[in-house]
This record gives sequence, structure tokens and C-alpha cells, in this order.
Amino acid sequence: MNWKFSGKRALVLGGTCELALTLAGVMIEASLFPILTYRNEMGQNIIKKALPHLEGKYDACYLDLGNRDSVNSLFSHIGDNLDFVIDFAQGNYESLIAQADGDIVFRYFNESVSMRAEVLKMAGRIMLKKRKGRLVFISSTAAARPNPGQGFYAAAKLASEALYRSMGLELGRRGITAVILRPGYVDAGRGKEYLRVHDKKILETVPIKRAVTQEEIAETILFLLSNSASGMNATDITIDGGLIYGK
Amino acid sequence: MDTFTEIKKILIELLDLNGGEITPETYLIKELGAESIDLLELAVAINSRFKIAIKDEEIFLTRFRLYLTEATQQGKDIGPYLACKYPFLTEDRISEIISNISEGPQLKIKDLMSYITYQLQEV
Repeated sequence: MNWKFSGKRALVLGGTCELALTLAGVMIEASLFPILTYRNEMGQNIIKKALPHLEGKYDACYLDLGNRDSVNSLFSHIGDNLDFVIDFAQGNYESLIAQADGDIVFRYFNESVSMRAEVLKMAGRIMLKKRKGRLVFISSTAAARPNPGQGFYAAAKLASEALYRSMGLELGRRGITAVILRPGYVDAGRGKEYLRVHDKKILETVPIKRAVTQEEIAETILFLLSNSASGMNATDITIDGGLIYGK
Repeated sequence: MDTFTEIKKILIELLDLNGGEITPETYLIKELGAESIDLLELAVAINSRFKIAIKDEEIFLTRFRLYLTEATQQGKDIGPYLACKYPFLTEDRISEIISNISEGPQLKIKDLMSYITYQLQEV
């Protein structure tokens, strides 16, 4: 399917994760221009390695959500030209709530929620000048149905979902919309690791009896960025093979 | 660059006005009907036009009432307290806002002009 897009330049937060890199490839094929963020030199090299021979068709930029200056630098680099944001950025902190380290919790929410709000503010202000823009937040089914130990992860995802929904609610009438994608078990990154640790038998609980693939996620995101999906705003979509509907 | 003319141009475009009703004494919210999203766009446009950093809560006097209550509750001298929060406003303007505050949002075009002039001097 050849989707049509209102814009070209897309900021991909958390640009070094497997899903983001798969998406970047799909976006480049669709003539979009991804700007992938990395938080260290290793991340920068991961991007280069994952997108060989594609120099000039994407950009990579430093962003550490623990460092507010890096947010300012990122947006100075981007300038006044931004059409999409796709947000994969998410630190992980697994702990029972009653067992958590207060300092880590404070830092975790600062990076996962407060700094995300700062990024959204700056992206939204750029998009307002053009009176168009599309925001896609990659959440997780764990936001709605966390396992024990995922409480902070779920809380950060839900808070971030609320930020995105509100962006769509507040700026929708100025052509800036937002949508949230909640993947279930995905055979990539943290999901792949989870399935390895918790045994693949866990996939027996998924009605389609398999994990969702990276390509399926990437193509769904591409659709969500397209004009065909522009009526979807301030809402969430689940892509989990039917996992959370059943017991 | 004439600050008033530039602001007027922005407002005509954003609020779909003909311009005749805009003077430095015009109330932005009470008379022109600007809503919060209009103010957000206005801040973005001013930032773009004048190349100055905008703190929305300052330029639009968003927390004025809150600071007024704060100063009263803490027994502080209201004028200097608010002057410290809004260094771009004159003492007379602060007094004017306080005396009329019960009549609704007091933000005027001239307050935006003061903010822009102040920020340009700071730069």
C-alpha cells in the first residue's frame, strides 16, 4: 500500500532500539526522513550499522532525556522543520513498588515523563507554525496490564500516554494530532529478552500464538503517520494478537 | 521594527481580525476573545518574529492573581513583589491591573509590547 503523508521530517525518539531502526528503514523506503536520537556513542554506531549505505536519507542526533541541555540542542539542530514525532524512548526500571529506590524512581520519572513533556512542548511549538503535525507514542500493553515489578514502567507509560492524548486534544484543531500504539509481545528488543527469560510458552496465552513482528509494528506506525489515519486522534490502538482481551 | 505594528499583524492573522479594533490599550482576552490556544500560537509567533525567548506564563500574566494572593497571604508589599515577578511592567501598570482585576483578564496589547521590549534589551 502506498500511503500518502503530509510532511517528510520525522523525529524518532529512542532511535537506537530495534523497532525504531526497522521503522527507519520502512520510512526511508516511503521517502520520509527520519531523525533518530541516540544517547551515547554506542547508540550512534548502532544506527550507522543498521542503516548502511543510506547516508543522507536520515539523520542522527544526540538526546539524553536526563540532560535538559541536550533537548535544547536537539531542537536547535532540527530547526523549524518537523512534521512527525515517533516516540520509542523508554528507560526500564523493574522493581516492586514497596522495594524501590527513591532516587532511582525520581530520576526515572523525570526522564520518562517530565523531559518527555519538554520534548512535546518544543515539537508542538514547531508544528504550530505549520499548523500540522502527527505524534505517535509507542506505549505497551503493560501500561494497562503490568506484571508484578512493572509498576513504574506502567506508570510512566500511562503518564506519557496522557501527555500525548492531551496534545491531540489541545492542538487537534490546529492540525496537530496524536495517537498511541500499544504493542503486546514483540519479537524485538526488550520484548525478545522477556520472551527468552519467561519461556516462549507464554505465547500460548496469545490468541494468534506468536509474538507480533517488528515489521508489523513498523508498517502499522507508517499507516498511523499517513493521511489515511489522520482521523485517529487522542486515542490508543493495541497490537497484541488479541492478548489482553482474554483472561 | 515597530513592536506594535508587528503584534498587530500577528493578531490579525491569528484571530482573523480586520485590525481596526487593535490598539495598545486593547484587552487581548476580554475584547479580542483570545483563547488559550490562541495565546500559545501568539507566543510561538512572537518568538519567531522577534527572535526572543518567551515564557508564556510571564508574557500573558497567567499567574498574576496567584502572585497577588501569595503576596497578600505572606504579608508582603504587593507592588514590589509583583514588580519582581513582572520586571517588564511599570509600577503604574501593575497598580492599574490590581485595581481592575475584578473586572476579568487584564492582559493588554501594551503588556506584550513591554515584554518584547524588555526581552530585546536583555538580549
